[in-house]
Amino acid sequence: MKGVDKMERITLSYQAKSLLKKRTHVGVVGSGDLEILMEPNEEKKANVLIRTGTEGYTPTWEAVLERFFAKHDLAASIEINDFGATPGVVQLRLEQAWEASRINE
Amino acid sequence: MNDIRTKISFVESNARDRVKQILDSESFYEMLGPFERISSPHLEKQGIVPQNDDGVIVAKGKIENEPAVVISIESAFQGGGIGEVSGAKIAAALEMALDDHHNGIKTRPVIILDSGGVRLQEANYGLLAIAEIQSAVVALRRYMPVVGVIPGKIGSFGGMSITAGLFSKIIMTAEGRLGLNGPEVIEQEAGITELDSKNRQLIWKTIGGTQRVATSLADELVEDDRKQIVNAVQNAFKTKPSKPRSAQVEKYISILKQVNPKENINPNYFREFTPSLHPYMQSNLQRPLEAKSRGQRWFYALTSLEAPNTKISTTVWSGDAKLGNEKARFITVGPDPGHRFPRVREGEVGLEEGWALAHTINEVIQADAGKEQPRPIIAIVDVPSQAYGYVEELFGLHQACAAAVNAYADARRAGHPIVALLVGKAISGAFLSHGLQANRLLALDDKEVNVHVMSKGSAARVTKRTIAELEQVTADVPAMAYDVQSFQQLGALYELISGIRADHPTKEDVDEIYRKLQQAVDDIHSKRDQSLAERLYSSLAKKERSTSIQVREKMQKQWND
Repeated sequence: MKGVDKMERITLSYQAKSLLKKRTHVGVVGSGDLEILMEPNEEKKANVLIRTGTEGYTPTWEAVLERFFAKHDLAASIEINDFGATPGVVQLRLEQAWEASRINE
Repeated sequence: MNDIRTKISFVESNARDRVKQILDSESFYEMLGPFERISSPHLEKQGIVPQNDDGVIVAKGKIENEPAVVISIESAFQGGGIGEVSGAKIAAALEMALDDHHNGIKTRPVIILDSGGVRLQEANYGLLAIAEIQSAVVALRRYMPVVGVIPGKIGSFGGMSITAGLFSKIIMTAEGRLGLNGPEVIEQEAGITELDSKNRQLIWKTIGGTQRVATSLADELVEDDRKQIVNAVQNAFKTKPSKPRSAQVEKYISILKQVNPKENINPNYFREFTPSLHPYMQSNLQRPLEAKSRGQRWFYALTSLEAPNTKISTTVWSGDAKLGNEKARFITVGPDPGHRFPRVREGEVGLEEGWALAHTINEVIQADAGKEQPRPIIAIVDVPSQAYGYVEELFGLHQACAAAVNAYADARRAGHPIVALLVGKAISGAFLSHGLQANRLLALDDKEVNVHVMSKGSAARVTKRTIAELEQVTADVPAMAYDVQSFQQLGALYELISGIRADHPTKEDVDEIYRKLQQAVDDIHSKRDQSLAERLYSSLAKKERSTSIQVREKMQKQWND
C-alpha cells in the first residue's frame, strides 16, 4: 500500500570466519533506539537485515556496520529493527550484543 | 530503605528486566520470546517497524519458590499499546494460569502495566484481546490474587486501566499513572478547558500513584526501588485479598451519590471527601422516559415496558421482559440531556453508568442464584464512547467501567446467557463495559453501527497522522475501520443481521430480532462454554485472527515444556 509512514529494508553481507558463540537479543524498537537479534551463522558470513523507519540512510548503515565488522570477526545472522537510532546508538547496541554473546550464562 | 546509594530503579528498567527482578533469581523462563519471531503482522504494511516480542514479555518462574507467571508491557515500543500479538500473549498467559489452577497448580499471576491501551494501528484486534484478558482476570482472581504493578513512564490507560480495575491488588509508584482516558485525548474530545494536557502537575495530582493510593483506587504506594517493589509483590500473595474494588458496587454508588459535580472538584476534594456510609437512597425511578436514541427505542421495542427501571442512573435502563418462554433482563445505556454529569448526556458510559450496569447485573445474579437456568441478559448496545471528563478521571472512570466488566463476566460464569445486540455505536471503553463480555455478539447490518476504539480526530492526534492518512490505512486494515462489516471480518460476531429497520423497527423487525436472540441463547446453552473462546472458533476468526490462535497454541506448548 502507499505508505503513510515509510519503512525501508536493507540487507548487507560481510565475510566472517569465527562463529558467534550464542544468540543474543538487545534493545527495544523505541524512539531513537533499536532491537538487535544475533544468531550464529554456519555459512561463515555475517548477514544483516535492517528494517528501519527512517528512509534513505543506507550509506550510513553501511559505514557503521563496516566499522563494526572491521573490529569483530563474527559469523552471524543479524536482524536489526530500528526506530531512528543515531549511528552512535547503533554502534553501542552492536557492541552490547557482541559482549552479551560472549558472556556465559 | 531510603538510602539512595542502595536503591535500584525499577522504572528505568526495560520490560524484560522488570520481569527478571520480580521472579526469584535464575527462575526466569520466557515464552514466545524474540527469537520465536511472533511479531505483529499488521505494522509492517503500515510502514511501522515491528518488534520481535511485540512489546510484551511473558515469563514463568518462581515467586518465593511458588510457581508464577509475570507479564510485562514494554512502553518504549508503540507506547505499550495492545495489538493482536501482544494482547493474545497476555490473554494466553492468563488463560494458561487459570488452567494451572484447574489442575491444582497454584500459579501466581503478576502483570506489570505500562500501556496507553489499545494500539491504535491494530484497533479492534486490541479491543477484542482486552475483553479476553479481562475475562481471564475475573476468572483467575477466584483462585489467586491477580497482582498489578504500575511503575510508571506511560502508566496504565485505556482498556488496560479497566483491566487494572479488576485486579486484586495494585502497586504503584508516584510516577505511575492510572486512568481511562489519556490527557491528550480528553483535551482533544472535551476541550482544553476540561483538561490542559500540558499541565503535568495537575495530571499527576489527579491520576498519579500518590493520589490513587490516597483515594483507595490503588492499594500500595512504593518508591521506585526494586527491593520495595519485589517485597510488595511477594507480600500481595501472603494476605487474603479483600473484596476486589470492581465488586464493591454499593460502596462506590453510595460515594458517587454524594458527589455534587457542580462543586469545585479538584484532587483534594476527593481526598478529603468523607461520604457517610449509610446505604444510598434508591430513587427507584420507574417513570416513562422518552426514547432519545436507537438503543432506547430498541429497549422499548423489545421489552414492551411502559417505563424502564432507572434506579441508579437515568442513563442506564433495565427491565425484565419475555424472550421466548423465559424472562430475560434487557439493559441499555443511553442519553439523558439533563444528567447531572454533563459528560454523559449524549449516552456515553461514565461513572454512574459503569456502577449502575454492575448494580443491575448483580441484582439479576442474586435473584437467580441457585436456579437451574439463570435468565438471559440482553445488552442493547448503542454507546458513542466513554465519558471524556476531568471529574470522571478523578473519581476513577476506569474503576466504574471495571465494575461493569466484572459484573458481566460474573453473570456469564454464573450461567446467565449474555447476548449483546449492537444496534448503534459500540465504541472503545464503553463497549468493553457494555457488550464485550457477552457470550455472543449480534449486530444490525447498518451504516450507523460502528465498532472502533477512538474517534478519528483523537486517533490521528495520538498516532501523529492526518485524518486523510488514517482513512487511507483503514481501507487496508479491517481492524482499523469503523464499519460493522469490517468488524465482522474479525470473526467475533455471532451474526450480522441485515434487513432490519434499525432506526424505527416494525413489529416484523422486532420478531426477527427475538428469533435471533433466542437462537443465540440456545446456542449458548448447547455449547456450555462460559468463556469467550467461542469468538476464536468461527471460520472468519480462523482466517483474520489466525495469529491470536497461533499465539495461544504456542504458549500452551511452551507453558507445559
